[in-house]
Amino acid sequence: MSEQQSHSYVKYSTIFFALCICTVLSILFDFIDLREKSLLGLKGVVLLSLVVLSIACAKALFVMIYFMHLKFEGRWKYVLLSPTIILAMGLTIAMTPDIGIHYYVDESPQVDYLKQAQQATPENGSANNAEKSHVE
Amino acid sequence: MGLPIPHSKLGMWLFLATEIMFFSAFIGAYIVLRAGSPGWPTDANITHIHVWAGGLNTFVLILSSFFVVLALEGMKAENFAKARRYLCLTFLLACVFLGIKTYEYYGKFSHDILPGHIPETPRMAIDKSMREMKQVVDSRTIALANFKPPAKSEPAKTEESVELAGVTDEKTKEITPPVEILRQKLQAELEAPDTSESRKKELAAYFALETKFIDLNKRALNESITLTEMNQELDALRKNPDYGVFLAPVHHLQPIIYGNLFASVYFLLTGFHALHVVIGMIMFVIVLIQGKRLCEKWNDYVENIGLYWHFVDLVWIFLFPLIYII
Repeated sequence: MSEQQSHSYVKYSTIFFALCICTVLSILFDFIDLREKSLLGLKGVVLLSLVVLSIACAKALFVMIYFMHLKFEGRWKYVLLSPTIILAMGLTIAMTPDIGIHYYVDESPQVDYLKQAQQATPENGSANNAEKSHVE
Repeated sequence: MGLPIPHSKLGMWLFLATEIMFFSAFIGAYIVLRAGSPGWPTDANITHIHVWAGGLNTFVLILSSFFVVLALEGMKAENFAKARRYLCLTFLLACVFLGIKTYEYYGKFSHDILPGHIPETPRMAIDKSMREMKQVVDSRTIALANFKPPAKSEPAKTEESVELAGVTDEKTKEITPPVEILRQKLQAELEAPDTSESRKKELAAYFALETKFIDLNKRALNESITLTEMNQELDALRKNPDYGVFLAPVHHLQPIIYGNLFASVYFLLTGFHALHVVIGMIMFVIVLIQGKRLCEKWNDYVENIGLYWHFVDLVWIFLFPLIYII
C-alpha cells in the first residue's frame, strides 16, 4: 500500500511538471508569433489556434486522467461523461457553419471602417478619412 | 445495484457534467464571435491583456490543483496535518489568482475598456472625450460654487443632480441649482472686487478650462478636428499647471474596432470563472475551519471539492489560450 502511495506521489509531480512545460510551450508560441508563418498549408491565426488549443487539450487530458483520477475509476465514467462530451461537441459542430462558412453578408459599421482604414494611405497613419464611414 | 462510488461523488460528477455544458456554450459563442469579426482587437497595447499575467495565473492554478491532489493523498493516508497544510496552500494560491485577476480588471477599468464604453471609430472617440470633458467642467462648476462640502469633483454625481434640479419639487430645491446659474454666479464672483486672491486664481483657471472646452467642443461638432489633433490638444491641457489635474477622468482617445464585443466576452468568461474560484474558496474555508477536528469523515468532501477545483483549473486551461494568445 505504502509503495503504491509513494509511486503515485512521484507520478503526480511528473504530471505537474508536464503541465508547467505545456504552459511554457503555449507562451513560447505566443512569442514566436505564428500569425506571420505558415506550416502544412495552414497559416496565421488558424495555425496558432490549432497548436495552442491542442496543447490545451493535452493539458486538460492530463488533469482529467490523473488529477481527477479518471484513470483509476470504474466503467461508470463512460456512462456519466459520454453524453456531456457528445453534447458539447455537438454544440460546437452545430456552430461550424457560423464559424467556417460565411453564408451571410457582413454589414456592420466596424467592417466598413476597417476596410477604409486599410485603404487609407500609410503616411496618414490614423486613417482620418474613414471617419465618415461611421453610421450613427 | 448501483454505482460503486459515494452518492456525493456521483452528484459532483453530474454537476461537473452540467458545468461542462455551461462553459462550452460560452466558449463556443466566443469562438463564433471571434471568427466572425474581422479586425478583432489582439494588440496587447490596445486591449491591455498581458500574456505574462495569464501565464502566471495558469501556473498558479496548476500548482493549486497539484496541492489539492496531495491534500487528498494526505486524507487517505490519515495524515491530516499534511492534508490541512496543502488545503491551506491551495486556498492561498486561489487568493493569489484572484489578486492577479483584480490587477488585470483594474487595468481594464482604468483604461475604460468596459462593455458599452469603448468608441469604435475616431468620431465616436472624439464624442466620448467631449462628453467626459463636459462632466469634468460641470463638476468643477459645482465644486467651486459649493463652499460648505469639501470641493470634491465626482463626475458620476453631476448628471444626477443636474437632472434632478430641473424638476420643480419641494425636495429638489435644496439640491444644486442648474450648472448655468452656478456659472453666472462664479462669473460675478470673479469680477467682484472683494474676492480673495487665491479664490480668484481658482476661478480664472476654471474659466480658462471652460473656454478651452467650448472651443474644442465646437470643433468636434463641426468635425474640423481629427483624432490625433484631439489627443494632442488633450495632452497639452493635461500638462497645464492650473487645471491639468482635473482632466484625469478624460481618457486617452483610442478607438477599438469590436472593442465592446471583446470587452463583453472577456468579462463574461473571466467573470464566471472568477465566480467559480470564489465558490471553491468558500468550500476550502469550510474544511479549513475544522482545524484539528479534521478526520476521515471528511475524505469524501475533500475528494469532491478537489474534483471541483480541478474542473476550475480545466476551464482556465482553455480560457488562457483562447483569450490571451489567440
